[in-house]
Amino acid sequence: MKPKCGCKRGRTGASPLDWFGEMVSHCCAYAAAGKKKGRPLVGMTCEYTPRELILAAGGMPACLCGGDADMVPAAEKILPANLCPLIKSTFGYSARKANPFLEMADLVVVETTCDGKKKMYELLAESRPMHLVELPQKPDDPDAMRHWVRELRKLKAALEQRFRTTITKGRLNAAIRLMNRERRLRRGLAGLMRSDAPPLTGLEMLSFKTIIACIPAALDQMELAIRLLPGRKLDPPAHARARVMLTGVPMPHGAERVVELIEANGGLVVCQENCTGLKPLMEDVRAGSGDPLQALAEKYFHLPCSVMTPNSRRFELLRQLALEYRPQCVVEVIWQACLTYDVESFYVRKQAVESLGLPYLRIETDYSPSDSARIATRLEALFETIRGRAGQMRCG
Amino acid sequence: MFYAGIDAGSRTIKAVIIEGGSLRMLAGGVVDQGLRQAALASGLLARVLKKCGLGRRDLKRIVATGWGRAALPFAGTTITEITCQARGVLHGKAGAETVIDIGGQDSKLIRLDSSGNVRDFVMCDRCAAGTGRFLEVVAGRLNLDLARPARAPGRPGRHIAISSTCVVFAETEIIGLMASGARPADIMAGVRKAIAARIAAMAGCEISGPVVFTGGVALVPGMARALQSALGVSVRVARNPRLTCALGAAILAARPV
Repeated sequence: MKPKCGCKRGRTGASPLDWFGEMVSHCCAYAAAGKKKGRPLVGMTCEYTPRELILAAGGMPACLCGGDADMVPAAEKILPANLCPLIKSTFGYSARKANPFLEMADLVVVETTCDGKKKMYELLAESRPMHLVELPQKPDDPDAMRHWVRELRKLKAALEQRFRTTITKGRLNAAIRLMNRERRLRRGLAGLMRSDAPPLTGLEMLSFKTIIACIPAALDQMELAIRLLPGRKLDPPAHARARVMLTGVPMPHGAERVVELIEANGGLVVCQENCTGLKPLMEDVRAGSGDPLQALAEKYFHLPCSVMTPNSRRFELLRQLALEYRPQCVVEVIWQACLTYDVESFYVRKQAVESLGLPYLRIETDYSPSDSARIATRLEALFETIRGRAGQMRCG
Repeated sequence: MFYAGIDAGSRTIKAVIIEGGSLRMLAGGVVDQGLRQAALASGLLARVLKKCGLGRRDLKRIVATGWGRAALPFAGTTITEITCQARGVLHGKAGAETVIDIGGQDSKLIRLDSSGNVRDFVMCDRCAAGTGRFLEVVAGRLNLDLARPARAPGRPGRHIAISSTCVVFAETEIIGLMASGARPADIMAGVRKAIAARIAAMAGCEISGPVVFTGGVALVPGMARALQSALGVSVRVARNPRLTCALGAAILAARPV
């Protein structure tokens, strides 16, 4: 996220795209207003954190993942240079006190997804109130699931104690319905890209998100977008571009460079299988259940992040999305030093090439623009290859 | 009709002229890369055209490729070096399954499908250790000529392994080796082996021969042999390995996909 927000109320845009173009200001204004009414702001850094629990405690869940390269030098005074840029940027924001949401946060909820984050949180906890959730990593092991449920119970208790409230089943079920609505809307938006002539670029699609979840105005704008956008024409037109399925690491606000490069060199990102795309939206939480915490635990534990082993759900998801969105190639983005996505890319390539029959390109990079020209060359070559194949098919 | 391909690489600029009907290469040339890239490329093109008794007006189309492709205003079209390299190799050696190109600033491996089109490719461009730059740095340090035969005849060489995966650190390692009395030719053989090992790692487990070797580094004596033993498949040096990419660009100028 960009640190420019001075909590000014963003101007009301004419269209949903305009509204989301001013997303950070809208979120800032919402957070400030909420805090004034006594709602706590709870920072989080991973899709495994159930926002429903924070909402049910009366809180505003805010994503703190850093996407700004300018925050990295401050982080490198303490963290090693050879670390994921998302971790460094997030920590740099804290070091420079530059993320308005972190500065407003009454608590930060983190989890043990990857080792880099885990150790960074120890440093972050020196200056920020923090609750750590332990994420087990054997996705099909019943013991792991039981442990995960216990961890979420502890999170619930910690939220109740800190914010002097009770998270009743009723409140939790209401929060579940609200988050299900947000997921449904974002799925609906993403689904517009299934069209042969998608109405949005991947970069525009990526902008349809909010740092704070379930802001009523944002949900209304998403509904409006789903109504208004079908039929919108892109320039250059969609049929002149190669359909790309993006997979790999998330792209937090400010770190959209690879998507920009893809779309500036002849591609159109029609599907994003990552944590800033469809991955966390695919499954809803069972609403109205007698044990909403168990229902929550199940949905979140199914998230196919590369920290899980084996991570077979990711490959089921990739297969399903390839069928629905009909990409012509798979581009995987790996943040430098993200070991789990890096190693897992072996299987992603194999699946793309051997099982889906799609060309695959792996881009390992960080937030700095130093390799943009080199990435652009690879992308151009990939799209030339796809055009070559298409030409061959027409001739043959 | 005549067509030109210009490959503006990191160390040299290459130009090739072909006749459009037969796709036969009429002439080619190489000039060192420099600050005024467009002027250098333009001068080179004029010289190569002169070799076949042609002028700029005889050219129907010019395709530019290589890192500097976007900086040549007189070229009508740009195509990446991956597509051009594959096309150039396809023209020269039918049946190649893999192209390995090692240039001055990057190296790439291109897998071809049965009709010689690009199936997929990998590039190493974040580090100099798998590139011609590594050889240049070491040759400079050892006062060796890269174009000379790999090893002086006579007593068998000592096996030297360069383990650093970074050119800067490898240079330090080499200074240590020199101090320990290692012969320059043996150090050079170690460097060739290290580059070949980087390329083999980039290739991963699936590499199918025949492999055609292109780029300026293909001219370095002993390099193809080092690659062949690292990859375990037969490696052939392309004819005119520095010009295949420019040739591919010229062919694509004549026969756009």
